[in-house]
Amino acid sequence: MYRDLIIFSAFIKLLLYPAYRSTDFEVHRNWLAITHSLPLSEWYYESRSEWTLDYPPFFAWFEWFLSQFASLWDKNMLNVDNINYASDETIYFQRTTVIITELVLLYALKKFMMHSENKNISYILVASIFLNPGLLMVHFQYNGFLYGIFLLSLTYAKEGKDLLCGIVFAVLLNFKHIFLYLAPAYFVYLLRHYCFKDPGSQDFGNFLHSKFIILGLSVISIFSLSFGPFLYMGQLGQVFSRLFPFKRGLCHAYWAPNFWALYSFMDRILIIVFRQLGWGLNDTATSSVTRGLVGDVSFAVLPQISAKTTFIITVVFQMASLAKLWRYPNFKNFIGSTILCGYSSFLFGWHVHEKAVLLIMIPFGLIATESLEHFRTFIILSISGLFSLFPLLFKATETIIKISIFVLWIVLTCLGLSRTFSTKSESRTTPKPVKSTFVYLLENVYIIGFVILQFFTGVVHQIAFSDGKYQFLPLLATSVYCAIGIVYSWVRFTVIYFFEG
Amino acid sequence: MDYQKTSETSHKNIISDEESIIDSPAKRWLSWVNDLKIESWSTIITSIFALYVRWAVGLNPYSGYNTPPMYGDYEAQRHWMELTLHIPINRWYYYDLDWWGLDYPPLTAYVSWICGKIGSILDPTWFALDSSRGYESDESKLFMRSTVLICDYLIYVPAVLVFVNWWFAGNSWKKRELAVLLILLQPALILIDHGHFQYNSVMLGLTLWAVNCFFYDHDVLGSIFFCLALSFKQMALYFAPAIFSYLLGKCIKNDIRGVMKLGITVIVTFGIVFYPFLGSLEQISQVIIRIFPLQRGLYEDKVANIWCAINVIIKLREIFDINLLAKISLITTLFAILPSCIYLGSNPDKRYLIYGLANSSLAFFLFSFQVHEKSILLPALPICLLILDDVFWCSWFINVAIFSMFPLLKKDKLILSYFIVWLMWNWIGSFIKKDTKPIILKYLSWLSYFVMALIHILEFNIPPPKRYPDIYVVLNVIFSAVMFTIFLFYFNYQQIISFIIKRKAE
Repeated sequence: MYRDLIIFSAFIKLLLYPAYRSTDFEVHRNWLAITHSLPLSEWYYESRSEWTLDYPPFFAWFEWFLSQFASLWDKNMLNVDNINYASDETIYFQRTTVIITELVLLYALKKFMMHSENKNISYILVASIFLNPGLLMVHFQYNGFLYGIFLLSLTYAKEGKDLLCGIVFAVLLNFKHIFLYLAPAYFVYLLRHYCFKDPGSQDFGNFLHSKFIILGLSVISIFSLSFGPFLYMGQLGQVFSRLFPFKRGLCHAYWAPNFWALYSFMDRILIIVFRQLGWGLNDTATSSVTRGLVGDVSFAVLPQISAKTTFIITVVFQMASLAKLWRYPNFKNFIGSTILCGYSSFLFGWHVHEKAVLLIMIPFGLIATESLEHFRTFIILSISGLFSLFPLLFKATETIIKISIFVLWIVLTCLGLSRTFSTKSESRTTPKPVKSTFVYLLENVYIIGFVILQFFTGVVHQIAFSDGKYQFLPLLATSVYCAIGIVYSWVRFTVIYFFEG
Repeated sequence: MDYQKTSETSHKNIISDEESIIDSPAKRWLSWVNDLKIESWSTIITSIFALYVRWAVGLNPYSGYNTPPMYGDYEAQRHWMELTLHIPINRWYYYDLDWWGLDYPPLTAYVSWICGKIGSILDPTWFALDSSRGYESDESKLFMRSTVLICDYLIYVPAVLVFVNWWFAGNSWKKRELAVLLILLQPALILIDHGHFQYNSVMLGLTLWAVNCFFYDHDVLGSIFFCLALSFKQMALYFAPAIFSYLLGKCIKNDIRGVMKLGITVIVTFGIVFYPFLGSLEQISQVIIRIFPLQRGLYEDKVANIWCAINVIIKLREIFDINLLAKISLITTLFAILPSCIYLGSNPDKRYLIYGLANSSLAFFLFSFQVHEKSILLPALPICLLILDDVFWCSWFINVAIFSMFPLLKKDKLILSYFIVWLMWNWIGSFIKKDTKPIILKYLSWLSYFVMALIHILEFNIPPPKRYPDIYVVLNVIFSAVMFTIFLFYFNYQQIISFIIKRKAE
């Protein structure tokens, strides 16, 4: 069965070889060239291409490893001066490496589900996460590979191998530092579950210093393996300035569907209201968001948001979920707080890219069948999260591709997983309370709204404003509508997390 | 074992149980669907998946992409939209014939006119008279690709669903769904229509609608559909002998006056479709000359039929006069279709009709005049419809058919899609198995797959010698022509033997 899955996914992805490539394709090609043809000391200084190396060292080494094979394939792609080089060989090579390295994800999923009692459901979950359209649409990147490592660390935690979990996560951080967002959950869990004799006890007499030191040393040694050479060469500052470019603005040109999208939208609305009422406005700000430039967004009515503010809000919300994990450091709460950490960083973070929604969606997939409530939350999150990725494939040519993949995935996931609840026959026989019937109805209406949204952005808007006016409108509508769903799913999941059981 | 059961016998044994389906990813998928009790969704899911595959193939270049001065089939279709939009209808078959002059029957022209009309609303420059020649842009490509897709889903896909519903009426749900999956993902048609760029699915779909009507005994309606298929693409003539003998046989058996009724239907249908061109004798003859270009020679390019294969050794076109060649090919074609047509006529059974269509079109492909390599799509239609009745032979035929089109697809830079779609179809159906019987057939089929693989491997690794720049194409042609001849014998044998078995049983 898993072989079928591998071959099927390979076919689907092979068919997409001629499809659109985002700039990330050139980014990764450039990194292949940098790591292959330059000495280590120049990796983080090289700037002939604007796509400089801004991932941690392990990922650079990963590119170096791939470049060894690339040189057998087409040497020209390894020339740093060959900017925007995209021969057929290069495309085939890079896309193939994605397909092959993605097998790490399948391996991790299979391992994670190994001991689940219902083989059928776990197979659906594996397939649904492995074939997540988000991974397909965000091409070109090695997300499947990276999320594979992430799930591997979760798997070790599930199996009770806490030390291994910590080590794998440390490795992951050195592949891609976006996972730092999840680090608080890992820290609390490992501290409470691994370093205490009796996990969950409030008595600090149970603290095991030796285990703490072992864990600390392993993590430190992994980081020094990664950053040590640069520390030795005195380049650490340069490396970090590449990894954390704080000069970017709050929102992307296209707003990621998070809390700030709603905030900006609110500001726009208030501008209109203020104008109608004839109140004074901060004129420099009124045109900044809709112009869609990558830069600092300033608000006309609502208070300005600084990077520090977003950071504080993120941490505050993360703390809330960690408090429960601290008290009850079990695996279930660990996954829950990982997801919530992902949520807070996605919803309130600084300069969030819409693909970061995978950070929530992928781990959420693992627990989607815990209960009917989990499942419904997961579906709302998936639909709004995936739909918000549509603008990534912005060319009309790919519309049918993304819609067909999206519909297939949603239909199969929904049908496959919802059967598990109807066979359990708990939800069907007992009448639902009126309140939840109403909630379900609203949710269904929201989901159906996506059909209208797609119809508007894809058809109506093109025809109504064929003169190119209001170009920002489809993106704005998508972003705001998806943000509502994602924020709602966050609230819903928070309720489940805190009040369940 | 399953193969033996299905390959040796007639449709009687189709009355199957689910065990007769070969173990394959498709079967596992359907069992999974069955376990989840979501059977009602499976046709929809298959159609969406087929849509994905078609569109993904369409992301590739089309025939003549970025190759001035003449471009290719894509430009021909686009040009016809431009032409029908701006030129008065009585000049359609005269206008600047050197630049992809219209050489398809009027229904194609009408459809082009509709497409052109819609396209011009979106962007008039796509189809501006003369100035749009060779026009290529992402948007116009998108528009053209979607017209093919829409035609496909309006005509061909529903026809397949109706066919499967009738053909597998007594069978399990799984078998029906499996057939839908395998027929909709048939690679040859996808590659030509959505990759190379043509509207074959319209002609094939109309033919299939005709067949569906015959199944439900709506013979008049069926004849109308078949006339429409003929008026869309003259290539549908390859099917005509089979349909003619079926209908004639049926009329003789039941009521001879039916011939009149059908005759009038045909005349009226053609009369309506061709009406704008019936103004003068000169106009009529111009349309006919354009549709049947005799002067274009025995065959174009290299095609895997008998004449092109013989030509490797004996230069037919230098020895014989073109008119004589036309006569020779006509007579041999007639001989080749005769056995199948006679049997179909004397026993007008609905299930033999499909065999008749296969034999007649395959005979035309092998022996007739002016054959295109794409014409293998015609026999591929009925043979693909029989896929579950005779898995081994039908999948073998389709595989050779796809292989025979490789030179064309290579020119269109569709090599990657060619391999993916082809392999995917074979993987989904898992047609090639170890336990085929008799042994001789197993080795023969393996040998043929080996030869195909070998030709590909050689072609990708060793450049052709200077003296024979076309050596790989020629090898392909010879191999495919030999295989198609074997298939012609086999399917004839199959049609006739199953007829005799049935008669004995009665």
